[in-house]
Amino acid sequence: MKIAVVGKGGSGKTTTSAVLARVLARSGHSVVALDCDTNPNLGLSLGVGDTETERLLTLRQEVDAGESEHAVSWDQILDVYGTNAPDGVRLSVVTRIENPEPD
Amino acid sequence: MNCNAGSHDATARMRVAFVGKGGAGKSSIAGTFARLLARRDQPVLALDSDPLPGMPYALGIPVDDAPIPDDVVVERSEGSNEWVLRPGLTPEDLVDRYSVVCPDGVRYLQFGNTRGHISTMRRAQAAWSQVVREIDPQTYHLVGDLPGGTRQAMFGWGKYADTIVVVVEPTAKSLQVASRLLNLSKADWAPRQLILVANKLHSEADVIRIEERLQRPVTASIPRDVSVYANDRLGRSPLEGNDTQPFVQAVDTLLDQIVTTYADIDVPLSQKEVYS
Repeated sequence: MKIAVVGKGGSGKTTTSAVLARVLARSGHSVVALDCDTNPNLGLSLGVGDTETERLLTLRQEVDAGESEHAVSWDQILDVYGTNAPDGVRLSVVTRIENPEPD
Repeated sequence: MNCNAGSHDATARMRVAFVGKGGAGKSSIAGTFARLLARRDQPVLALDSDPLPGMPYALGIPVDDAPIPDDVVVERSEGSNEWVLRPGLTPEDLVDRYSVVCPDGVRYLQFGNTRGHISTMRRAQAAWSQVVREIDPQTYHLVGDLPGGTRQAMFGWGKYADTIVVVVEPTAKSLQVASRLLNLSKADWAPRQLILVANKLHSEADVIRIEERLQRPVTASIPRDVSVYANDRLGRSPLEGNDTQPFVQAVDTLLDQIVTTYADIDVPLSQKEVYS
């Protein structure tokens, strides 16, 4: 499944996404949670904590500022821009893939 | 407090912008603040730069779509795709003609709406930005509402303000956005003052938690007020009903506090002084 959650600020997008991700993971699915918000907060709702959420933001800001390279593959997005969240969810602050490596 | 904006013009008016996480209450507070200021017999221009505007509800007008027409701008040079107010049209004229007059006499000027076509939006946004940049600072108090989150704020859309109000509610995500927004004090164009307002408070403990987390005093505390939610469900302004609602009273206190930071501006400090 690929599910995107959208809505007005404060209506509960992040909370809904986080609960969806963890409930799915608890029922045995492998789940990637992507935080595409310009102001990424999904880590807080998933339960990875303040420090780790801020670390992911810093990683993304470095990419946005051109200080580090964009990911070249999905695997790299998950490895480099991701962290492990409870229930086995893998959280990643998404950046676009540039110069994809050939398959 | 930041003081890089130079000396304050003795006759200029207040320029206040509200920022914060989505849902923290920016539009409700900004709209109420604008109307309470207008009730003190002051000229107020409400500026909405949210492409999905929420301010009209708080201002008490039935529209959420009050576009600036395309033909107010002309292309700077052919094909440049840069738009400027057409010759002869001043920012003051544009406000006179195209802002929406709200209850209490507030004027509302809306930035391009996302329902419009992108090309139209670019023109409306260019017009809006030029008005905000160039309007005679003695004509109106400016009360601005930015979209939720950090993006527009960090890109400098609140530059017109000399007071930026960070609205925070006592939740982890709202606090995190607020802590990011407090970095605006380090921007090249940092406002003269950056103040913190706590909204939807359940108790004094919420204030203490916010101050500890953000390492900064809360300038004004706004309680959680069920009347705001009741009005919101019906699409009504927080000012519907009576003016003794805790939310309205707290915003009036915030207004008093901000007015005192503009010691050289002659605004009646209390609504009662105007109406007694």
